[in-house]
Amino acid sequence: MINDIPLVYYLSLSAALFCVGLFGALARRNAIAVLMGIELMLNAVNINFVAFWRYGSVNPILNQAGIVFALFVITVAAAEAAVGLALVISIYRSRDTVNVEEIDLLKW
Amino acid sequence: MLSAITFIPLLGAIIILFLPSDNAIKRFAIIWSIIPLILATIAWVIFPTWPDFTLMGSYCPPDIWVASANTYLGECAPWIPVLGIQYHLGVDGISMPLVWLTTLLTTLGLFYSARVINERVKEFFALFLILEMGMLGVFVSLDLFLFYIFWEIGLVPMYFLIGIWGHDTDRPQYAAIKFFLYTLAGSVFMLLAIIALYLFSTPHTFDITLLTANRDNMPWAKDALISTLAFLGFFLAFAIKMPLFPFHTWLPDAHTAAPTAGSVILAGILLKLGGYGFIRILLPMFPGTFQSLALWIGVLAVISIVYGAFVAMSQNDFKRLVAYSSVNHMGFVILGFAAAAALTNEQVTSPELSNYFNNGAAAINGAVLAMFSHGVITGGLFFLVGMLYERTHTRELAQFGGFMAKVPIYGALLLLTAFASLGLPGLAGFVGEFLVLQGSYTTLTALTFVAVIGIVLTAAYFLWKVIQKVLLGQADEKWAKLPDLKGYEILTLVPLAVLMVLIGIYPSWILDTINQATIVVLKAVGAT
Amino acid sequence: MIQNFTLFIPVFPLLAFAIIVLLTRRNNRLSAWIAIVGIIMALVLSLGVFLESLAEGPELAQHPFYAAPIVWYPYGLATMNFGWFVDPIGSVMLFMVPTVCLMIFIYSVAYMRHSHVDEQGHHIQEDDPRYSHFFAYISLFTAMMLLLVISSSLLQFFIAWEVMGFCSYALIGFWSFRGLKEHHIDEAQVGRARGASIKAFLVTRVGDILLLTGMILLLLVTGTLDFTQMFNPDGLNNVLLADSPLPGMTWLTLIALLIFGGTVGKSAQFPLHIWLPDAMEGPTPVSALIHAATMVSAGIFLIIRMFPLFVVDSQTGGNAMMWVAIIGAFTAIFAATIGLAQNDIKRVLAYSTISQLGYMLAALGIGAFVAGSFHLIMHAFFKALLFLAAGAVIHSVGTNDMLKMGGLWRKMPITFITFMIGAFALMGIFPFAGFWSKDEILLEALRAGFYGEASPQTQTIRFVYICLAIAAFLTALYTGRQIFLTFFGKPRDEHAYEHAHESPITMWAPLAVLATFTTFLGLWNAPFIGAFTHYIGEGGLMGLPQAFEHTAFDQLAWISMFLSLGIAIGGLIVAYLIYGFRPVAAGQPDPFARLGIIYKVLVNKYWLDELYGYKINLDGTVQRGLLIRFAGALSRGSYWLDRKVIDGLVNLAGWFGRILARLWGWFDARIIDGIVNATASVTGEIAGWWRTMQTGDVQNYALIAAAGAMAFAIIFLLRSFT
Repeated sequence: MINDIPLVYYLSLSAALFCVGLFGALARRNAIAVLMGIELMLNAVNINFVAFWRYGSVNPILNQAGIVFALFVITVAAAEAAVGLALVISIYRSRDTVNVEEIDLLKW
Repeated sequence: MLSAITFIPLLGAIIILFLPSDNAIKRFAIIWSIIPLILATIAWVIFPTWPDFTLMGSYCPPDIWVASANTYLGECAPWIPVLGIQYHLGVDGISMPLVWLTTLLTTLGLFYSARVINERVKEFFALFLILEMGMLGVFVSLDLFLFYIFWEIGLVPMYFLIGIWGHDTDRPQYAAIKFFLYTLAGSVFMLLAIIALYLFSTPHTFDITLLTANRDNMPWAKDALISTLAFLGFFLAFAIKMPLFPFHTWLPDAHTAAPTAGSVILAGILLKLGGYGFIRILLPMFPGTFQSLALWIGVLAVISIVYGAFVAMSQNDFKRLVAYSSVNHMGFVILGFAAAAALTNEQVTSPELSNYFNNGAAAINGAVLAMFSHGVITGGLFFLVGMLYERTHTRELAQFGGFMAKVPIYGALLLLTAFASLGLPGLAGFVGEFLVLQGSYTTLTALTFVAVIGIVLTAAYFLWKVIQKVLLGQADEKWAKLPDLKGYEILTLVPLAVLMVLIGIYPSWILDTINQATIVVLKAVGAT
Repeated sequence: MIQNFTLFIPVFPLLAFAIIVLLTRRNNRLSAWIAIVGIIMALVLSLGVFLESLAEGPELAQHPFYAAPIVWYPYGLATMNFGWFVDPIGSVMLFMVPTVCLMIFIYSVAYMRHSHVDEQGHHIQEDDPRYSHFFAYISLFTAMMLLLVISSSLLQFFIAWEVMGFCSYALIGFWSFRGLKEHHIDEAQVGRARGASIKAFLVTRVGDILLLTGMILLLLVTGTLDFTQMFNPDGLNNVLLADSPLPGMTWLTLIALLIFGGTVGKSAQFPLHIWLPDAMEGPTPVSALIHAATMVSAGIFLIIRMFPLFVVDSQTGGNAMMWVAIIGAFTAIFAATIGLAQNDIKRVLAYSTISQLGYMLAALGIGAFVAGSFHLIMHAFFKALLFLAAGAVIHSVGTNDMLKMGGLWRKMPITFITFMIGAFALMGIFPFAGFWSKDEILLEALRAGFYGEASPQTQTIRFVYICLAIAAFLTALYTGRQIFLTFFGKPRDEHAYEHAHESPITMWAPLAVLATFTTFLGLWNAPFIGAFTHYIGEGGLMGLPQAFEHTAFDQLAWISMFLSLGIAIGGLIVAYLIYGFRPVAAGQPDPFARLGIIYKVLVNKYWLDELYGYKINLDGTVQRGLLIRFAGALSRGSYWLDRKVIDGLVNLAGWFGRILARLWGWFDARIIDGIVNATASVTGEIAGWWRTMQTGDVQNYALIAAAGAMAFAIIFLLRSFT
């Protein structure tokens, strides 16, 4: 029963989500949209982790590294989202914009 | 004693740096320079009676002790033991008169300069004393390294003396740098030769007495290439210094540009460093090489004599004429050394050919005496030229004339010095020349026939250019008020004049000293 | 006993010299006195030695008074010693030299006072401005001549010889040394004196270096220059006979010729005679002293001293002596011809001196030692007399030119008589000194040349005789001419004639003394007395122990005597015919000039000065001869060579060094440093390209990171599959 949905489905879902997230992180102009893309990537990774935990490990009950890792990722994602949003607000306050194409002070 | 004579001038120079006023400096320098003169006189007077060898210092290796047995007042101390360099001083009959002459001419030069030099006095007198130290050091040092150091020390003060206090119209900077670089080029080769001797000797040593005494066992003496190259290295340095044709062209420029006392020292002593090198280093250490090259060196010497006289004859500048006359006289010195060197071993050692030995000794005696006399005579001539320049501010012979009437004391002294220089018997120049001719007719007969032409030419240019143009004839109006020699000028010239007459009339007093050393040198040359 | 003090003889005049120079320069009278005292003391001591020598007699030659105590210099294991050496001929010289010199000194006291007319027309007499210097120099000169006569070593001889040369220079040029404040000379004379003094010194120097060379070669070959040792038989016969480097000549011949070279210079023989006539520019006492009595005799004395050398040389086939004879004889006749055409009273005497010296050399050259040395002594006396008398004439008349004189015998009788005595002696007229000595020489030449055994030298000796005979004729001719022009006839210059007066006693007394000697001294060797021949000839010489041959007075001797007398008188008669019979009037040219081209050649002295000497013109300028000009050109050429070529090389080295330095500097700056700089700029360029990667856009960075990660992942996957 549990093996009725093949692993590949999950993995492709995760890959698709990841790509969507990557696209969003790299191509969106709004900084918050970039952060959303990053969140998507992280969640895609979570799906990947859980899928491999359920379908890949020998003894899923004893070897819980996958879901633990996913919990870590969620935590980190949350922290990182908070910090990222704080940074965006800070940038907005000083630069008056959240358009990442306009924040290029490190340009040569 | 020798260290004292050599380094007291240096001490004087250092003290001068702290003296406040020009007058104090001048007085101090003159008085201080009398000290080495007195010491040198004492050294010469006690010379023959001093015991054969005196050790002053803590350490002299036994072989050096034995080898220096013919030098007096020796001092020996280790200096850089790693390289085998000793602080080894000593004089023999050849260097003693030259040391004395150095101290005398320095004192006279300082005495005269005190009245003439008035700018940058401190530097002048300090440099002069350092120069004296350099010259004295060359004459007394018996270690090649020490010899070289003192040789080089003599260059730098002279460079400054010519360059700074030289007469502006004579391109003093050009003359000074020419003198410096030319002489330095020669001494660089000498340095190479010294190092070669060191490396190729067993045991490695820089000591002149050891190198001479053990010459026949040394690898450098046995290897023809090394000894020839070393000979040439030394020869080049000494030939440039003497100067020998064709290395003489620095001399006229240096002499005309130098201040009077500088010229006196340059002609009087510095040129003799080269001759001293001939007799101290070249002849005893490289007799074989010297003998094979003696003819060529003799040819160069004769060319110096005749050519120097010819060129002197066409000069219109008084000082330049005297400079070329130096080339002429030094040619005789080198001819004497070459003649002595040309003796074959057999001639030196065999008792039946004692004539050759004696005439060879005569040649060396003559050459050394000629050096001494030349120092006295040409030193006097340069003083006279300088005194004339002070009064007339020109050295052009064409402008002079009739001075015998205007400045009779000057005229009389110039007459005396000129005749001494052209070798009139009864005055100093003749004895040296005669002895050299005596020796060189023995071994280099054909060359000497040519050399005597130089004697006639010398008479010609002195009589014509110096005496006739300067003293005789009619004085131009602008010289109407020419003052005669003042007291200090007479005092400068009188010792030289007395020496000229003394050596001419009775040369034994100096030749006895020289002869002792000559016999030793010749015997060393012969011993195989 | 006195001979132990021989070395003191020169000391007195030398001391006089030193005292005058250093102390009494300003006091003329005192200086003259000191000089005279010096020579008197030398004379006294010399006479003492002379008398002692006479007492020894002829053996003195082989056992001379000799000692060489002074070590002049050591050389090697030998020493060169000086001392004294007195043999018979030396002792006679010791008699002659101080005597003649004393006469000249006394004469000079008055001669060196000059008279002139000042602006107010008064006649002023005042001392020469350098009066004391004159006496100093002649004292030094005399000291040196005496030293030369007593020298024990050839080197000592040479030194005295040379110092005399210096004195000669100083004395000939005496009037050129001070300048023109003198009233009695003009600028031309000063110029002439200047040129003459240098000419004398340089020409004799040429001879001197020949002597120097010969001397040193002698020292080399025999090992000594001492007169007692150098003629030892071993040296003379063995060593010296080895062949010298010059082809065909033994050492002996070479050395003898070189030593003769010194004589040619000092005694003014052809070709080095050119200095003597010009040396007449000096004051007359100088001419008498140096060019009659002493210095030129020194050259002859040298040959006398070295005579054994020459004799052995000719005995062994060398021809040195022959050359002495040839040059002597040639000079005798050569100088006599020139003397005929001279108008200066002193120049005639100068050429006469050269000619008489040639006589002496010719005599020595043919082996007539006694005759030659006798003539030397006699000549000193009468030539000094002639010069002093001529000087008296010049001093009173004020000119040297004989064409301005005439008829002076009335005005200056003593001078006239003494001059005549000297002239007769010179011509060789009985019974005056020259007769005996000249006759001896002619006799010897005649005997050996025409009546002796045939030998290789016979031709030479015949040549010598003919030359000497002709020269005797010419001597009489020009001396007669001189007498007639000067003393006889009508005065040619009224002003000069008025001026003429007899000299003061200090001047005519020496003349009288010398005339007395001239008259009677010859008798010393008159044929029947022969004292001189015995004294000098019997003992031979040091190194030549056999006595000189002396043939008794035979028929040939009578013939020769009358012959030479006849020649002399013949010459006198011819002179009378030309100059005495119809005296030359004022303004008239010399009758001799009618000989046209011959006269011209003689007046110009065969143009020798223009060839290798230099001619001193009347106005004091100097015209250089070809040889001198050549030397001058050589000198200037050498200087050019030195300045441009040799020094040019040195400067080229310097210039080259500078160029090299600049090249190196460029190399260093551009190339080596360029590499360093290039490195830097390349780095900069590359960095410039690379930095464009920093766009500042975070998403770019992220894109690249993602792409990189993906690339890694793909590679990793691919690898794990293979």
